[in-house]
Amino acid sequence: MSTTSSSHRSARPRRRGIVRDLLWHGLNLGLPLLFVVLPILSFVLVSFWTLTNGQIVHTLTLANYRAFFTEGSYLQVYLGTVLLSAQVTLINVVLAIAIAVFIFRRTPRVRFLILMSFMLPLFMSYIIKIYSIRSILGQRGLLNEGLLALGLIDQPIEVLLFSRTAIFIALAVLYLPYAILPIYLALDRIPANYLAASADLGATPLQALRDIVLPLGRPGIAAGAVFTFILTFGDFVTPQMVGGTQGFTFGRIVFSQFGLALNWPLGSALAVILLATTLLAVALAGLTLRREHVR
Amino acid sequence: MQPLLHLENISKRYGSVRVLDGIDITVADNEFLTILGPSGSGKTTILRIIGGFEGIDGGRLMFEGRDLASVPINRRPFNTVFQDYALFHHMNVAENVGYGLKVRGRPRAEIAAKVADVLETVGLGALGARYPAQLSGGQRQRVALARAIICEPRLILLDEPLSALDVELRAQMQRFLKSLQRRLGIAFVFITHDQEEAIALSDRIIVVHRGRIEQEGAPEQLYRRPRTPFIAAFLGENNLIAGTLAGVQGAVCRVETAAGPLHATVDGPAPLPGSAVLVAVRPEHITLAAAAPGALVAEVVEIRFLGANILIELRHPALPDTLIKVRRLADGSTARLSPGQRLTVGWAADDAALLVAKG
Repeated sequence: MSTTSSSHRSARPRRRGIVRDLLWHGLNLGLPLLFVVLPILSFVLVSFWTLTNGQIVHTLTLANYRAFFTEGSYLQVYLGTVLLSAQVTLINVVLAIAIAVFIFRRTPRVRFLILMSFMLPLFMSYIIKIYSIRSILGQRGLLNEGLLALGLIDQPIEVLLFSRTAIFIALAVLYLPYAILPIYLALDRIPANYLAASADLGATPLQALRDIVLPLGRPGIAAGAVFTFILTFGDFVTPQMVGGTQGFTFGRIVFSQFGLALNWPLGSALAVILLATTLLAVALAGLTLRREHVR
Repeated sequence: MQPLLHLENISKRYGSVRVLDGIDITVADNEFLTILGPSGSGKTTILRIIGGFEGIDGGRLMFEGRDLASVPINRRPFNTVFQDYALFHHMNVAENVGYGLKVRGRPRAEIAAKVADVLETVGLGALGARYPAQLSGGQRQRVALARAIICEPRLILLDEPLSALDVELRAQMQRFLKSLQRRLGIAFVFITHDQEEAIALSDRIIVVHRGRIEQEGAPEQLYRRPRTPFIAAFLGENNLIAGTLAGVQGAVCRVETAAGPLHATVDGPAPLPGSAVLVAVRPEHITLAAAAPGALVAEVVEIRFLGANILIELRHPALPDTLIKVRRLADGSTARLSPGQRLTVGWAADDAALLVAKG
C-alpha cells in the first residue's frame, strides 16, 4: 500500500516536471525565435523580392544582390565603410588597450573610479554626445579655436566637420567605451602575481605586456574589436550628423532605402549584406582565440 | 667576510601602522636561512622588500656591498618562488621554466638545453610540454623552483612554498628542497610560519614577531636556549616557571620561585640579580622520580597516552596556575602512573633556559 501511494506521489511531480521543462525550453527557444530569428528570416525573404513601380513583386530573384555589385556606388560605399570601420576598430582597440592597461596598473580603489569615468559616456544620451562632438569639431568649435589660440593654425580646419575625418573621429569617440570595458575586464582576470613573477624573472614592463598581459587579454581584445566594428559599421546616425553630404556610409544607404526611397526589398538585401559582414567579423574574432588553458 | 645580502636597519609602515622596525638581517653565501614568524609578524613584507615588490621607509638593502634601492625588480639578482607558484597558465612547463632566459634574449637552442637540464634537476624531465593545469601540486612546486633557479641566481626567495601541499608531500618536498639547496650551492631565504619546517630545513632561523627580530640562531640553539617567552612558546613546547634571579655561577643561574630554588642556564650576559625571570624547561627534559623531601614534588593531574609518547600533567601546590607538562616514552614504568600520585620533578640545569620576563 505504501509503495503504490509513494509511486503515485512521485509520478505526479514527474509529469509536472515535464510540463515545466517544456514551458521552460519553449520560452528559451521560442522567444529568440520569435524576436530574432523570424524578423531576420522575414527580411531575408523580402530581400529576394523586387520593387517595380512602387509595387512589391513577390517573385524570388537575385536582382537586389546583383544591383549591389553592379549599380550605382553601393559596392564602393560598402568597401569604404568596411575600411572606415576597420580603421576605427584599429585605433580604438589600440587606445582601449593602452587605457585598460593604465587602469589595470592602478591600485584597486582608484581603478573603479577611472573605469567609471571612462564609462560615463554610456550613461549619456546619444543626441547630447553627438551635438557635443559637433560643437567640438565645428569651424568655430573648441578644437579649432584652441588650435587658433595656440597659434598652431591660422585658419580653422574645415575638414574637421562634415567629412570622412569627422565621421572617423566621432565614431571613435562614441564607441571607445565599448572597447575599453571588455579589454579591461579581461585584464582584471589576470592574477596579480603573474606580473610580479614576470618582473621577478627579469621581464621589462614591455616584455610583461607582450608575454602576459596581451596574450591573457586576447579574449577581451577580440570582444572589444568586434563590438567596435559592428557598432561603427551599422551606425547611420553619426555619419549623417557629422558627415554631411560627403560622408555616405553603408548604414546610411540601408537606412535611406527603408526610410526615404521606400525600396524595402533592396534595403533588405543590403541589410542582409550588413548582417553577413558583422557575422564574418565575429567569426574572424573567434578564429584568433586559441583554446585557453584553464588553470 | 662580506655577507651576500644585508638588510640594514630596515623599517616599513603601511599608513600609520609600523610593520617592520629596525630589521637587520644578513644572508651568507650558500646559506639556508629561514625567516619564521606567526602570520602578521611582517615576515612576508621582508621577503617582498628583498624581492623589490615593496619599498622601504628606512634602512638599506645591500647586495654584495651594492645598494639595491634603485634596482628595479627585473634587475635584482635573485628569483622568487611564490606562495601559490604564479605559474603562467597560458604557457607550458618548458615555456614557464625558460621564461627568465627568454626575456634575457638568450638563443632558443641554449634555452631549450638549459630548460631540459633544470627540469631534470627537479625531477620533471618528461613534463616540458604539459600545462600547469595538468600538473599536481607537488609538480607545480617543482616547476616554480625550476623557473627560479634557471637564471642561476645567487639567492632565491621562497614564500611559504610548502603551505599548499598535504602533509606527506610536504615532508617529501622538504627533503627535496634541502638537497637541492646543497647541490646548487645557492642561498635560500625561506619564509614560513611552521616552526617544525623551519627547524628541519634551516642552517639558521630568524624569528620575527610584531615587526621585530625576536631572536636568531641555529635551529638547535633557538630550540635549546630561547631567550624570550615568545620564542619559548612558539618553538615547540615549554614549561615556564616564574621567579626572581637570585644568583649566577658561570652560566648557571639560581632562581627563587614559589616552589623553591630552581636552576637554569643562560647563554651570554645574565640579567641583574633580582630581575623577574622565567625558567623554561622542555616537557621531554623533565625527569620523574619518587617523591623525596626537599625536592620539587608535584601531583599528577592527568595522564595522556599518545602512542609512542605519554604526556603527564602535574601541579605543584605552590604553583597553582602552572601545569607542569612532562613527556616520556611510553613504557612499563609510565603505565604504572596514576592521577593523584606525588612525584619528584627534576631536570639538568643545562636543559633549562633562563628567560627575561617581559612586562
